[in-house]
Amino acid sequence: MNIRKLLRRNETVLIFAIIIFSLVIGSKSPEFFTTANLFDILRSSFVQLLFALGVLIVIISGGIDVSFPIVGIFAGYTAVVMMRKFQLNEESLLIPITLAIIIGAILGGFNAIAIAGFGIPTLIATLGTAGIFRGLMLSFIGASFISDIPVGLDNFSTADLIKFESDAGTLVRLHVLVIPVAVITIAVSLLLNRTIFGRSVYALGGGIEPTRRLGISIKRTQAKIYMLVGGLSGLAGILYVSLQRKANPYDLAGSELDVIAAVVLGGASIMGGYGTVFGTVLGVLFINMMKNNLVLLGVSSSWQRAAVGVLLVLGITIQAISENRKSKRQKTAANKEKE
Amino acid sequence: MNERLQRMSTSGLLADRKVTQLMGFTTFIFLIFTIFSFNIFFTPENFRSMAYQVPEIAILSIAVMLSMLTGGIDLSIVGISNAAALVAAYIMTEQMSATGEISSLWIIIACLSGILIGLICGVINSILIAILNVTPILATLATMTLFNGIAIGITNGISVSDLPKQFIRVGNGTFFGIPTPFVLMVAIAAFVGFLINRTGLGLKLLLIGTNRKAAQYSVMGDRKVIAWTYILSGFLSSLAGLIIAARTSAASPDFGNSYILLAIVIVVLGGINPLGGFGTVTGVVLATVVLQMVSSGFNALRFSQFFYLAAQGGVLVAVMILNTVLENRRVNKSINKSLES
Amino acid sequence: MVSTKTLNYSVENIVKSFGGAKALSSVSMSVSGGEVHCLAGENGSGKSTLIKIMSGVHAPDSGIIRLVEKEFSSLSPRQAVQEGVQVIFQDFSLLPNLTAAENIALPTYIYENSRYINKKSTMKIAQEALDLIGVDIDITLPVSEISIASKQLIAIARATNLGVKMLFMDEPTTALTRKEINRLFTVINQIRARGVATVFVSHKIDEIQEICNTITVLRNGSVVADGLMKDFSTKQISEAMTGQDVLTTRITPELKSIKQKVVQVSNLSAIPTFSNISFSIAAGEILGVTGLLGSGRTELAEAIFGKYQVDSGEISVDGLKLPLNSSKAALAAGIGYVPPDRLTQGLFLEQSILRNLIAVGIDRYKKGWGLLPRKNLAQVGDRWISDLKIKTKNPANPVTSLSGGNQQRVVLAKWFATNPHLMILNGPTVGVDVGSKREILEIIRDRAQSGMSFLLVSDDIPELIQICHRVIVIKNGKISKEFSESELNESDLYKELN
Repeated sequence: MNIRKLLRRNETVLIFAIIIFSLVIGSKSPEFFTTANLFDILRSSFVQLLFALGVLIVIISGGIDVSFPIVGIFAGYTAVVMMRKFQLNEESLLIPITLAIIIGAILGGFNAIAIAGFGIPTLIATLGTAGIFRGLMLSFIGASFISDIPVGLDNFSTADLIKFESDAGTLVRLHVLVIPVAVITIAVSLLLNRTIFGRSVYALGGGIEPTRRLGISIKRTQAKIYMLVGGLSGLAGILYVSLQRKANPYDLAGSELDVIAAVVLGGASIMGGYGTVFGTVLGVLFINMMKNNLVLLGVSSSWQRAAVGVLLVLGITIQAISENRKSKRQKTAANKEKE
Repeated sequence: MNERLQRMSTSGLLADRKVTQLMGFTTFIFLIFTIFSFNIFFTPENFRSMAYQVPEIAILSIAVMLSMLTGGIDLSIVGISNAAALVAAYIMTEQMSATGEISSLWIIIACLSGILIGLICGVINSILIAILNVTPILATLATMTLFNGIAIGITNGISVSDLPKQFIRVGNGTFFGIPTPFVLMVAIAAFVGFLINRTGLGLKLLLIGTNRKAAQYSVMGDRKVIAWTYILSGFLSSLAGLIIAARTSAASPDFGNSYILLAIVIVVLGGINPLGGFGTVTGVVLATVVLQMVSSGFNALRFSQFFYLAAQGGVLVAVMILNTVLENRRVNKSINKSLES
Repeated sequence: MVSTKTLNYSVENIVKSFGGAKALSSVSMSVSGGEVHCLAGENGSGKSTLIKIMSGVHAPDSGIIRLVEKEFSSLSPRQAVQEGVQVIFQDFSLLPNLTAAENIALPTYIYENSRYINKKSTMKIAQEALDLIGVDIDITLPVSEISIASKQLIAIARATNLGVKMLFMDEPTTALTRKEINRLFTVINQIRARGVATVFVSHKIDEIQEICNTITVLRNGSVVADGLMKDFSTKQISEAMTGQDVLTTRITPELKSIKQKVVQVSNLSAIPTFSNISFSIAAGEILGVTGLLGSGRTELAEAIFGKYQVDSGEISVDGLKLPLNSSKAALAAGIGYVPPDRLTQGLFLEQSILRNLIAVGIDRYKKGWGLLPRKNLAQVGDRWISDLKIKTKNPANPVTSLSGGNQQRVVLAKWFATNPHLMILNGPTVGVDVGSKREILEIIRDRAQSGMSFLLVSDDIPELIQICHRVIVIKNGKISKEFSESELNESDLYKELN
């Protein structure tokens, strides 16, 4: 791959953006470059990254999912409630995680029915299911805030891989989640690039008719996509509950904007067919770096959303301009071929 | 091919049928709630309260309808309405005396400022969508985040309340016996309906939503039409925001977050085709009334508001499924001939 | 790999109706391995239906499909592929976001029910497939960056990779230059040598004469000619396809003696597509433009309408110079354009006939306050429906309720309603049944007689000869020859094209 192409790629631009922003923030307040801060950015990224990987898969397939945070909190909250209700082993970590993943996959299955089964446009379908899931959860499973979550989950929130006190007296912690999240990230990347299912996801994003003519079952692929995303979201949800040390059914709603922003900034095209795990990781890190460290620039935290908004608008503008330029270039290239 | 089938369901001749069906459905819902909770539902107080709450949602839904007719969608309507309300509220509370009095001039200035915000936001959307060719979903998702974010940043998340009495009177008063917001809604609905059915701009709007490429080949200034659509949508959203502020005597950056879902449910229930090109304002208004009745009825039956939320989602999914299923059945019979070449 | 026994694929007495319309009446056709069989016919002849039946997309009402030794009363798409039947459609069905290599190799993975895919084996599969047909393309590129001609070869490579035994190619040369067509024909000969039964679907007589061994001609759903290619003359094939002896029925109107030039094009250039194009058209004159696709003829037509970017040159209508690259200016100056694909470019299918009729120049119909007066519009609609004899009971019906020919009339009427000085028509009778074709040409003639000028872009030589006063031939972006009225004849035109 030649240098010019490499430079034009979205991920490269993003890396530059990250470097520039790091330098800007770091020059104003050197605390940015401490290990403690960098580990903090990572920690706040774990849950988001899991959500983002799911969203990435959906976007590559040409769809969009806005129900994933609801699926996440539904799964996390319900898992906790079930553990209480059925008096399951509160010290276990495996049980709530498994429960949450299964619940998430089932909810994803409903998305699959709406989208794959009935062909409802993805935005409208997931907008609808988000309402259904949230409404049903708050009506029937519970609307109360649970602050004493099962011991196993609670302890997990402080399960640090690395932990020490820095010279400045601050606590430097790297949560053990970095390992499973990294593993899952790599797994998703392999899934997308090395399996027929993964290539089918890209194919779907590239065109429905050609995909069908290839002999790929569109419905089956879509069903798998949404159930996979559901499971991932469920996992993200229960981990969120653990890290926050509380199960609040009102949480996570509204966070879809940040996640979608991360995925889009990471280079996934909303039209489908394009996107990489690497780009998504960069996007999530970038967004979190922004949000967490706005304070260091002297900006109050109430501007976080606006910051994400500005980034997103800038990002899509830049992408749009380069898209418009590319299609003009392709037209002349196709003409040149005709000579 | 599926796209064409989905469009047929709300095309010209069948649109009237949809409105009739919807009227029937409205009556049905009305009867159900009247029967099951007569004492609470079928009271003048209840109807009056519905008549005050319907307008803001109806206007927001009409805004969504416009963008959907062109084959896109405006997700930033709530962001715009809140922004407009906040700006107006700020100006009013700043100019308000300690006793809560304010000159009418300042109220007008405040409202015009709010509308100006709506127009500016609409222009931003237009630039992204009509000039830069960004997909509407993505563009309005981004601007929704931006507008909402700026509103939160400026207000620190705190709402502005205790608005001037004269202003609140508009949102809670009557105009010849009918709630003022309701009158405004009817005026706006009539205007938009007129725009779509009787003007050149409206026709272009529908054609662009039906087939953008053919519209470009027909040289109708499609980009301009789309730009105006989102500017109009911003304008309507700002009006809705002002009405909300007048009714609740408050403006907050996070009000009505669930209104997006509600607006889309209403638009789809009202017979607007999500792919573009077809739909009526009457349908949208009727659908708003239906959903308001459901909300009020649920309330009367002591269902939780969350159940209403689930119901919204359920209605949306159900209507979409119904549309697809019914049309597949009907169209398969008659369209095969003309498709075969 | 070449077997000694020749494999045979055939259909016998196929009947197929859609709704009330009969698409195929007792059609039989037989193709052998190692043969390139032409399936000829105009649009509407039933070609597509036959292909779809043989590839399993539709089931025939009656009749038998014979694939080598197996007999079927109907096929599923999967069965067809398993039996080695494949179709290359005009859109190639390639995925633009994946590489050429992946596009070629994916079907193999899927066919083998593999779960995993790796780069090395993908490249290997793809390269082998290309070698098999003797083609060299950079397969690491995403398909979106590959030319149309190469895309077609990739589609063929993909098909041969799956062990195709019967290959349908639907109008494969539509978007190719002469050079690319040569390359394609070389590849087709390659797969012919490997024993594949190829069905070459086309209506371009010169091409089918070049590449095909045998031919079946369909017209209105029935077989009207069948046999060896060498047994048919050009004239016979053309007559079989159109059903009439078209060569002698010229209907061009008399040109008025006042040869006032209405349209003047000077040195129009859009490098590298076309350069230094100059011509003029008189009032009431019908100028034909032809050339192989890729010659620049469509781009030229769209450029005059302001839809294709030009670098330099002048266009003037009625003496007034036109701003370049603006459709708005072109429309205002009195130029209209009927695009080649009416379904996606010309019509708003689900909208009513009336709305389609007024779709251009909507602003003209506006009264005060931007209003569109309903009564006036209805009158406009009725006028055009009767003027162009559009067969419909109700202008409020969606335009999908019309036949192809009537749909095309709607597109024509839409533009006639703007009363243009110059009408540019790009393939106006494509996909229209034979009867309507004639009537549309007569409509054009009538308008020309009243003074409207026409620029008729077409690759249908008989049609050009029927209706045009003059014809210019575009080759490689330049005018290679202009045929005056007296010089117009089929064989010379064909010769110039090739």
